[in-house]
Amino acid sequence: MEKMDKKQSSGQVILIAVLAMALILLSTQIYVFEVNMSTVNLDSTSLNDYFFAIKTGSRNVVTGSIANVSWSGSNAVLVANLDRWVTLVNRQNQFGRSTLNYTVEETTPYSSGIWLSWGTNSFGVSSAFAHFTFNLSDREVDADLSYFINVTTTLIVEGTYKTILADERQVNVTVNLSNEGKPALASQVTLYYRILDSWLAPNASNNYVFTDYGNGTYFASFLADIPSQTVEVSVLVRDQRQILVQANATCSQI
Amino acid sequence: MLDNKGQIRIIEAFLAISVMFSALVLTAPMSSTPDLERQGTLRKIGTQVLVKLDNNGTLGKLIESGNWTALRQSMDLLLPAGVVYNLTVYDENMQGVNTQEVNNSNQQGSEAVVIQYLCVTQSSDIHFYTIKLQLAWLK
Repeated sequence: MEKMDKKQSSGQVILIAVLAMALILLSTQIYVFEVNMSTVNLDSTSLNDYFFAIKTGSRNVVTGSIANVSWSGSNAVLVANLDRWVTLVNRQNQFGRSTLNYTVEETTPYSSGIWLSWGTNSFGVSSAFAHFTFNLSDREVDADLSYFINVTTTLIVEGTYKTILADERQVNVTVNLSNEGKPALASQVTLYYRILDSWLAPNASNNYVFTDYGNGTYFASFLADIPSQTVEVSVLVRDQRQILVQANATCSQI
Repeated sequence: MLDNKGQIRIIEAFLAISVMFSALVLTAPMSSTPDLERQGTLRKIGTQVLVKLDNNGTLGKLIESGNWTALRQSMDLLLPAGVVYNLTVYDENMQGVNTQEVNNSNQQGSEAVVIQYLCVTQSSDIHFYTIKLQLAWLK
């Protein structure tokens, strides 16, 4: 009788064994699939591209902010924009948990990451500077990236003049523009000269000649009646990143 | 009595075979995992296209000005033939921005990947966008 029961339940044992095998097969396949998927996510080239995109975005934020500040914006714009950027990046989870932090440069001459100096010493600068740390963490990756973004537009103005007749002066002005220390092209160059308390822009009636050398150097020449012995010029330049910079210079007599 | 036993054995065997068969059928789609190399290539191409467009500020400008036709043309030019794409732009609050579809085909592709890209406009009035680019190899 006992033998009969054993024989009768042997089919059920086979069924359970088959079910167990099916489960093992299924779980193995799922595991292999998951492992493959995580390999896709951690592709190193994709990570490098992701890091590059974060750096590009950071650079655009800093560039846009200094452009805004140079157009009479508040110095607080940089920090406000960086806060928005950090919030957006830290929401990303494509490759794992993204954590972006920043600090703005506070070392003199910077304040809140901004240095704007449009002086009378022939030198003008519009600059923004911020430091970043980026961390990407996942089950299988923990990557850190530290970088800084310094966007600086510099203007150097040099002027000379000679007296033609009485108060009539021939004024020559050389303008040099650079981005991060390298010669850069301008979108717009506006030149003024001073008569008493007024700043006037030379025009065709002044025989105004403007030459673009195509390498960040510009030359302007004009004739003007300037009663003072001190000939002062002011140059306002907008670079191709829409950053404004201005410099005033006192021309030397030749 | 003996005949009945035999029938039960056959039914059990059929049951066992059907369970095994269904397990294999269920797991078959999973076993055909995506072609990682082809997907990786696609991801690389897509990201590089976006980086290239973004590097000189073109991407942000096109989105800001709502010039979806120019954006589609740029993508068509930069992506190789045989790749289908669909690009969607979201603002900071993840609201859809593009008023027109930016894609090159309604056909289905294989080995699809989704690239999420953050774009910041190069302007004094900064805007932030999240771009989702779906790419696939044309079947």
